[in-house]
Amino acid sequence: ADEAGASDANSKEQLTVFHSPENFNVKHPLMNKWTLWFTKPPSPKGENNWNDLLKEVVTFDSVEEFWGIYNNIAKTSELALKSDYHLFKAGVRPEWEDPQNKNGGKWSYQFKEKRAVPIDELWLHVMLAAIGETLEAEDDKEIMGVVVNVRKAFFRIGVWTKSSGGGKTAPSRESLMEIGRKFKEVLRLNTNEHCEFSGHTESAHSGSTRAKAKFVV
Amino acid sequence: LQIKTNEPAPPSAALTALKSARFIENIGSVNYPSGILSPNPALNPAASGKFKYEKDFLLQFQGVFTEKPSVDWDKTMRETVGEPETTRPSTAR
Repeated sequence: ADEAGASDANSKEQLTVFHSPENFNVKHPLMNKWTLWFTKPPSPKGENNWNDLLKEVVTFDSVEEFWGIYNNIAKTSELALKSDYHLFKAGVRPEWEDPQNKNGGKWSYQFKEKRAVPIDELWLHVMLAAIGETLEAEDDKEIMGVVVNVRKAFFRIGVWTKSSGGGKTAPSRESLMEIGRKFKEVLRLNTNEHCEFSGHTESAHSGSTRAKAKFVV
Repeated sequence: LQIKTNEPAPPSAALTALKSARFIENIGSVNYPSGILSPNPALNPAASGKFKYEKDFLLQFQGVFTEKPSVDWDKTMRETVGEPETTRPSTAR
């Protein structure tokens, strides 16, 4: 019965949201399911457990739903200081402690000229590169998620990877470098501006996110 | 039986379409209206299954699907991100 249904449906005209925003019958699948998370800024009085501040907002798996979310949520430029958005593959918490991030790391770039940088556009383009799966080669499966941090002195955008280029898995290093180059391109950085990669473990041990960069592009 | 006082509004036509639409199975089989850029075939050699999409293709949806993605979206926002200073109109119409 399912097969008959499917072939019948396929023979029917496929109407996209471009044909009919209110009557479309097909939508565009994403390669992965994604979850958007939000870190609330700590409140000045109590209740500042990290787990209370990190909120799961919504999970989606189509292009159309992504835009419904994006068009109805606060822009990065409207967020209070110490807020973060995290867009991660469903099932991965945006934390070093998640088992799937244990051996991973991240590429990141800090925009220190906050008023000069089109942060909303850059963050959108990074999210589109993540959900459109154009940050990495098909089989690498390194990307875990992307993040934007709103701080007093800077905006920072990062991309988290499953591995950190260490150990015996030599091929992962080239995958990571390729992701770094694509990331830099999406952020429209000049050749004299550098993205840095650091492993989560090193970041955790140094007690800050300013661990020594392992790779640079 | 629980009676909710803040009953969410019924879903909009666009949201109903989003929830009931099927996933495209073969990206090559879709005839986009003229003026709409199709997904880059070089990115999707297999044409079926799941697809990669370039930025310029994805950006075309920005002004087209503007509806809130669930009936209780406002509640979700209150409980997570909070509300932006400037509240957007709820629909583009």
